[in-house]
Amino acid sequence: MSAQNMHIDSYERNWMIFSFILLAVFASAIAVAAFGMEIQVPAPEERVDPGTVATDPNSPWSNPGLREIAPGKYDAYILARAVPQWEYLPKEITVPVGSRVTFYVTSPDVQHGFKIQDTNANFMVLPGQVSKLTVTFDKPGAYNFICTEFCGAGHGVMYGAVIVTP
Amino acid sequence: MSKTFLNAIYVFAALLILAAFAFKVFQPIQVLPRMRIAPAYQFTDQDGQPLTSETLRGQFALYSFTYTQCPAPCYNMAETMQEIQSRLGEVDLGGIPVTFITISLDPDRDTTEVLKAYGESIGADFNHWKFVTTTNKDLLKTIVGAGFETYYENIGDGSIRFDPGYVLVDGWGVIRAEYRYATEVSDADRILRHLGVLADEVKNSKGSTKLAYEAAHLFLCYAP
Repeated sequence: MSAQNMHIDSYERNWMIFSFILLAVFASAIAVAAFGMEIQVPAPEERVDPGTVATDPNSPWSNPGLREIAPGKYDAYILARAVPQWEYLPKEITVPVGSRVTFYVTSPDVQHGFKIQDTNANFMVLPGQVSKLTVTFDKPGAYNFICTEFCGAGHGVMYGAVIVTP
Repeated sequence: MSKTFLNAIYVFAALLILAAFAFKVFQPIQVLPRMRIAPAYQFTDQDGQPLTSETLRGQFALYSFTYTQCPAPCYNMAETMQEIQSRLGEVDLGGIPVTFITISLDPDRDTTEVLKAYGESIGADFNHWKFVTTTNKDLLKTIVGAGFETYYENIGDGSIRFDPGYVLVDGWGVIRAEYRYATEVSDADRILRHLGVLADEVKNSKGSTKLAYEAAHLFLCYAP
C-alpha cells in the first residue's frame, strides 16, 4: 500500500496539520523573540572560582549590594548562599521607580535559584558561574525575590526583596 | 510541481537546518558580541594633550580604571596591563594598533604630572598607553558610569570605592567585551585571546566570509 492511497481519517489529519502549524508558530516565536525583540536569555557569563568569589577583596561579591553607576542605572551584585545560613546578600535593595537594574548573581556553595516576582527575571544560580539579567522597574512596590531551586533545609526561608520607591 | 523537484526542496531544507545546527554546535567561527556603543569623550592625557574617542577609531582600545592615591589593599590594574603590554607581540593583530587607556577617577589629585609620574613608575609605553582624566567631574561620572558602566563613588575620606574592570572597544567604537571579576582564566590571558579574536574578524570578514562572521553573530557563537 503506497502512501498516496493510505486512508487517514480527516479528523485525525486535521489535528496532525494543526499540531505541525503549532510547532512552526512556536519555533518562529522563539526566533522573533531572540533576534527581533532582543529578549535576553539569562545566560551564564563566565566561570568564576566559587571558593574565593565571596572572600577575595577584589571580587565585587566580597562587598555585595547595589551600586549606582549612573542616574537611574544600577548594578546589583547579589550572593546567594546556604552557609552559614540560607540567605541572599543583601536581603533587600531599594531603588527609585523607573530604575534599570542589572543583577549579577552567583553562589559560593550550592545551586540556588533567583526569581523576582512580577518581572521576567527567573534564573538558576550555579556555583562557579555568574547569572546576569537586566530588569527595569516601572511600578513602585515591593518585588520579592525567592529561591526557586531546592538548596537544602533552609530553602523555604531564602528570600529577599527589591523595594521600588515612587 | 514534479515530485522529484519537491523532494529536492525537502532535502535541501533539511541540509540547511542541519548545517545551521552544526554551525552552532561546532562553532567554526567565534566572535565577540557587539554589546553597545562606547561613550564619546574628550580627556586630557599625561602630556596635557587632548584625547578623544574619535582619535581611536580604527584601532582597538582597552580601558582600565584606577586612581593613583589608592590605599594599599586597592585593586591594582597595573599588573594585568603590564602583562598585556609585554605579551602583546604574541597576538597576531594583523597590523591593527592597540591603545591602552587608563582613566583616573580622581581628577583633583591626578594632574597630568602625577599621571605621567605614575605611568613611568609602572613602565608604561606612552605611545600606546595613555593615562587620562577630565576635571569636569559630572562628565567623568557620566562617561565612566553610564558609558562604560563601571561603578565608582567618592566615599568621603579622600578614597574612592570602585569596581575593578576592563572594557574592550573595537575600531568602530563598539564595546565588545567587559571584564568585571576574576575568572578561572586570568584577565590578561582572556584579553589577549579576545584581541586575537577581534583581529581575526577584521582581517577575514571580507566578501563571502563576512556572511559567515555575521552568521556567527546571529547564532551567538561567542568566544569564551
